[in-house]
Amino acid sequence: MNPIAMTFIQGPVVEEEVHLTLVELCQACNAEEEHVLAWVFEGALEPVGESPQDWRFSGDSLRRARLALRLTRDLEINPPGVALALDLLDDIAVLRAKLQRIGVR
Amino acid sequence: MKFKDYYEILGVARGATQDDVKHAYRKLARKYHPDVSKDPDAEARFKEIGEAYAVLKDPEKRAAYDQMGSQWKTGQDFQPPPDWDAGFEFSGRDFGAGAGADHSDFFEALFGRHARAAQRAQMHAKGPDHHAKVLIDLADAYRGAQRSISLRMPGLDAQGRGTLQERKLDVGIPKGIRAGQHLRLAGQGAPGLGEGAAGDLYLEIAFKPDPQFRVDGRDVYLNLPLAPWEAALGASVAAPTPEGPVQLTIPPGSAAGRQLRLKGRGIPGSPPGDLYVVLAIVLPPANGESAQEAYRTMAKAFDFNPRTKMKGDPS
Repeated sequence: MNPIAMTFIQGPVVEEEVHLTLVELCQACNAEEEHVLAWVFEGALEPVGESPQDWRFSGDSLRRARLALRLTRDLEINPPGVALALDLLDDIAVLRAKLQRIGVR
Repeated sequence: MKFKDYYEILGVARGATQDDVKHAYRKLARKYHPDVSKDPDAEARFKEIGEAYAVLKDPEKRAAYDQMGSQWKTGQDFQPPPDWDAGFEFSGRDFGAGAGADHSDFFEALFGRHARAAQRAQMHAKGPDHHAKVLIDLADAYRGAQRSISLRMPGLDAQGRGTLQERKLDVGIPKGIRAGQHLRLAGQGAPGLGEGAAGDLYLEIAFKPDPQFRVDGRDVYLNLPLAPWEAALGASVAAPTPEGPVQLTIPPGSAAGRQLRLKGRGIPGSPPGDLYVVLAIVLPPANGESAQEAYRTMAKAFDFNPRTKMKGDPS
């Protein structure tokens, strides 16, 4: 048998192994910096660090920022509205998980 | 190609004002936004709504669309008349809702060129990052796996028209990955311009629907049907897990809905998740004389009223 060498691409799990700078987060979401700044100001994203240059966003921020961007773009929601929607969607996800746990689909 | 009636999609009259169009779009967009709606058709509906809005909110595109006439109906076979857009000047600005979304053939045939031309004018050094969603088996998260996935990437052909290119990637799925997490594959996004590096590709992980297991974060749930005597007397029962079958001890007197926790048998990690076995009791059918007799014997043997805790119980 002819062994075929296959190279599989490996990558880190963003939520567990990656922290993103402001620039990296904007690049990853294709978002404008001013949008991300506004979401941080409203508490929708919570980076660690003093100033925007030092900010480090947790991997989970990627999902939240992409969601925030879609809500902004598709529904024309302003930053306080985005922050509220994100909180409510988190709550709904928790409730849905509870329903699923007790067997309600 | 099928004609699309953008007015019908947004539910507005042809003479609707720009404010009417915006109002109708916002209402439908909130209803069908895939991040908000659980409607299985939400994503398709939302795309359609976004596409309709992209045309009707833009006075230039709307005017061009309108001059094709009102005799067309949704779903009718359609080819744009030659030079249908002659005399219209598209500024290509503000593509807005659904920018970069994969629009229908109909939209691409009418407005594709103008949109792409506008996008191409932007210069970036590093290529944009791309995102894709991949479905994996739950077992892959337990063991880790190497999977070939195929992605459809929007690109441009030689004429600058949008096309979807099929691309195959061999990807290592790390053990312990959970639904909703992302893998970052460096340099697998769009190529950079000039000397710029290629962007990254982010893969969002989701599990294929499984008839047996439900997943909640790290924890996995399994419904296990039991016969009444197994639940009442206790039993040793083989139960499937994503790692293979295990022999489970059912404690005597188990009620339906009881959860047995197999610690650390959920999705691996630190800490690993748990596997919950949810007990269900299934009655054997009373479809024969001996089966009915067995139920009658049971009724005689027990002084049992399952409704004693009900309020206003008359018995």
